[in-house]
Amino acid sequence: MAKCFALMGWSLPVIESMQKLNKPYVVVSYPDFEGYAKENNIPFVSYQFDEWSDSSNSLDLKAKLDEFGADVAVPLFEETVEWAGALNSLYRDDPRVLNRAFLFRNKAMMKRKALIGGLRVGLFEEVYSKEGVLNFMERLNQANLQIDGEEDSWVHIKPFASAGTVGHRLLRSKKDVENKCVDEDFPCLAESHLPGKEFSCEAFIHGGKIRFLNITEYVKLGYSNFIPEGNYLHTKRDKIMKEMQKLVDIFGIQYGMIHPEWFLTENDEISFGETACRIPGGHILELCGKAYGFDALAAFVLCHDPDLTEEELAEILPPLDARPKEFYGNVMIYPHKNQISKLIIPEELKEESYFLDHNLIPPMTTQKISDREGFGNHFGTVNFKGEDPDRMTELLLHYENVDFYH
Amino acid sequence: MQNQEIVERSQELFEELFKEYKEATALTSKQKAQKIMGQLDTWCDSEEGISRIYENIPKLVGAGILKDSPWEHPGKLVPALVNGTYKSGHPNSTIELLSELRMLAIAKGKMKSDEVSAAEAENFVQEVIVYNLEFVFNEPQEETRLIMSGHELKKVHSLFLFLSNSVKLSKVKSKLAEELKLICEQRPVVTEKQRRIIALVKEKIELDPNDPEDEDLLAFQRSIYRPTERTTGKTFQKYRQELDKLTIAELEYEAKEMGKVMLQFGLVSQYHAVLLLHLVRKELYELVPPCFALSAAGEARYHEYRDFVSFLIVQVIDPFNAQCLYGLAKMLENGVLAREAVRSGLFNLSKITIHPEVVKRILKSTRTPHEKVTPKQYLIGSLFRILGQPLGVGQGNNPTCQSARGISMWSQHAPAKLIHMVQTAAEYDDLSFRFEGQEVKYSQTQPGLVQVLDHHLDAVSVTLVPMLDRIYNDMMLRASGRGEDPHKWVNPALYGQWIQIGFASAYDYLYNAIIDFDGFVRVFYSMFHPKYNGGHRMVYPNPVGIFVTTAKGEMLGFHAVSLLRIDEDNTGELRAYFLNPNNEGRQDWGQDIKPSVYGKGEIHGESSLPFHQFAARTYAFHYNNLEAAGIMNNVPAKEVEKVKKLAKESWGKSYTWLETKRKW
Repeated sequence: MAKCFALMGWSLPVIESMQKLNKPYVVVSYPDFEGYAKENNIPFVSYQFDEWSDSSNSLDLKAKLDEFGADVAVPLFEETVEWAGALNSLYRDDPRVLNRAFLFRNKAMMKRKALIGGLRVGLFEEVYSKEGVLNFMERLNQANLQIDGEEDSWVHIKPFASAGTVGHRLLRSKKDVENKCVDEDFPCLAESHLPGKEFSCEAFIHGGKIRFLNITEYVKLGYSNFIPEGNYLHTKRDKIMKEMQKLVDIFGIQYGMIHPEWFLTENDEISFGETACRIPGGHILELCGKAYGFDALAAFVLCHDPDLTEEELAEILPPLDARPKEFYGNVMIYPHKNQISKLIIPEELKEESYFLDHNLIPPMTTQKISDREGFGNHFGTVNFKGEDPDRMTELLLHYENVDFYH
Repeated sequence: MQNQEIVERSQELFEELFKEYKEATALTSKQKAQKIMGQLDTWCDSEEGISRIYENIPKLVGAGILKDSPWEHPGKLVPALVNGTYKSGHPNSTIELLSELRMLAIAKGKMKSDEVSAAEAENFVQEVIVYNLEFVFNEPQEETRLIMSGHELKKVHSLFLFLSNSVKLSKVKSKLAEELKLICEQRPVVTEKQRRIIALVKEKIELDPNDPEDEDLLAFQRSIYRPTERTTGKTFQKYRQELDKLTIAELEYEAKEMGKVMLQFGLVSQYHAVLLLHLVRKELYELVPPCFALSAAGEARYHEYRDFVSFLIVQVIDPFNAQCLYGLAKMLENGVLAREAVRSGLFNLSKITIHPEVVKRILKSTRTPHEKVTPKQYLIGSLFRILGQPLGVGQGNNPTCQSARGISMWSQHAPAKLIHMVQTAAEYDDLSFRFEGQEVKYSQTQPGLVQVLDHHLDAVSVTLVPMLDRIYNDMMLRASGRGEDPHKWVNPALYGQWIQIGFASAYDYLYNAIIDFDGFVRVFYSMFHPKYNGGHRMVYPNPVGIFVTTAKGEMLGFHAVSLLRIDEDNTGELRAYFLNPNNEGRQDWGQDIKPSVYGKGEIHGESSLPFHQFAARTYAFHYNNLEAAGIMNNVPAKEVEKVKKLAKESWGKSYTWLETKRKW
């Protein structure tokens, strides 16, 4: 049993879960949160994550955390993955733990690792300029045996180390490359477009084994998803489980949670997209916890503890073969207009028996919507709950296109 | 059945969120509460949904949903602040709604509180109802209409229906009497609102004739339900039979009493119509003037046009179309009937066939049309009211202050033109205007400001307003892009050529700024202030554009009023008297600027403000451009500063100000 968890990053729901579990913890985050932490008796170490210097580094942070007896570090956000890796390297006296953290922070490196291990991935390359993307697209066209006049092969570019969809661009043609790419994009990862149905998995790992696997069905990337997976994806569960364990083995992950994205084609081929090891976006753990009836945030934290016993694991996680009756889904609401002044909840939603809740708030006055980064900031989430995954899919697709803001 | 399922399902989902909320610690309970609010917000569309929330109130409050919020302590809440919170929208309006329902639950003994007793809680709910009659009757005021969304209005209306069906109103009698007085003193053409409040009082409060406190409300009750001793306990049909048995002296007494009661609040009872018809049919013409409560001048006019008036009475007045009797009486008083063109117009109107589309609109506005009254009777009756009470014209719950202002102006200064417009519109469901030599025809124009017309209007307005609105809009389009406010050209074309050529606007279209406000104020003072305009009076009403501001003085929007006259009130203060087509008696424009509707020398239907306060909300008016330049500099800088300060510290914050001088 860990003496004290160092939670890397500020998350009230996680802190609440720790308090309820009555487990020792200390929060590490930016100085901005110190006041609130003090007021609410939250053990806190203030740290400037974006600074790395002689006086701001993992040894220094470890010294500060030693006062709390911390012996397990848990990364909550993308930016704290290396910090947690560095600390856990020290705690476990294993330098490779830090290197593994770097693996999660470099999309090219993680693809290479997956490829070496025998996972199916798309063609990828590190590119340094527009020219590089054009050459990559050209080589892809050649490989795809393009004939004159045919469309170019699609290429995605992504920053090496950003969370989720931030900075992600889909380029459908050479013209797109000219128009959409800007100098700030480079260097980055370029990769071929993977066909198939996209989904994500959340694997809770302990002792190098997957102890619980959640599959999240994406209805539309960045907009909507639901848990557990729908009936079709469910028939592929064993296959997915095998690929997942393969990924865990290749990466050598011992403790914690990873959530990779996969693509499943009609021929049952599964390709690896990318993976992360912090709390996923899109309120996925919230949905997952509700659907399976457990505290997913607490489980996320506890899985990082090498000393966790089998009994404790069994207590905190649902059984591996659990299949909930009810599906929980959400759709993130983005304004569709550039200028909004009103929130209008559609009549049909009020009568929808799957509708659970929303946390949308009307704009204060007429509000201009700034340009989007990734998918932009959503204004809130609408949650649904129901027994039929097909109906759930329909609803999520439908509400993605409904204007809530006018 | 399906409905039942939805209800059960939503309760089940509520329980789920509620459980999560209860299990949350202080760290995340705010977010969980927000989700519950989001869910409850979708229940609020009906009284039934509100009652379901009410059922869950003890649980919600017990779990601390109002804790650590301004609503935590029921003992510290103020009824007068409730209205503002509803206007601020979800989530505040949803929390406010929970707070009211908690109060009701305490009043009903469904919950206990250490801070307020059941009686105090009931008193609170009653006061909240009176402060929010606009929501009870779903007749939002101008400001409310601009701010609130359809959903929010529906939600708050459902809540107030639920509240008013749950409590009596015995403790707020004086407030209700004041509310009725504020409305009736303006003598609005549409009397539905005051009749509804009077009916609400009848249903909710037991009044005691021996209690002086109840006197005011009893007077309102009597004016509709028991105008004379003889009507006590009788239907109007019974009363009609009784009239046959009365002597001339007894009938004269009835006529005088009826007239007196009508003058008190401008409300007409069904008995009154029965009596008047009886007198005319029995040819007891001498008794008609007292029945109309006419002055000597009115009586003289009645005798002059007796046959025509009798014709109108028999054609139009009915127990189910009684209110127009007051309008007809006022037409005799203000002399409009003395014009040949008016009499001919009214006669012609009685001969037309009304277009089926217009019939639909008229019947919709009547709410409870009676089979014995024809749409034409409703239309002409409504015209009586407008011609008799030009300042009682209202825009209802519509953004059509322009059209309402026009109807009121024509009624005073071009009544025959108005009648002819009504006749054309009613017969053909179409209307034509002239704009700079070209014809603007309703049937060929694009939609205007009105999306869906609210039919809480009189029959003339529902006939004309949809057309006037679109014609006005079309003229505005034609006059736009000229670098100046299009009203400069549209106002004279729409209202009449007696509108002056000069047009002063504080706002400059090209620079998007307030330019030379000093000059603007000087022109205003030199045109209207008797001290600086050579002691002249106003001749025609002036269509004025004003900035409506909130009670905090913040810019809210534009509004059209007409400035009618400038006069001193009984305390010697110089005031601007104006028509505000939104018929509100309880306005607060911030900076202590509160238009009054009675008691400061107002004629029924006028609003008034001290002269400089009116100037500080004005942004556009018409003036004599040949005259202004010569006299505007006589206005002292001190006066100008006073106005400018008020303007700059309120709506002026929304604009850039440039001091460059302009030529006026």
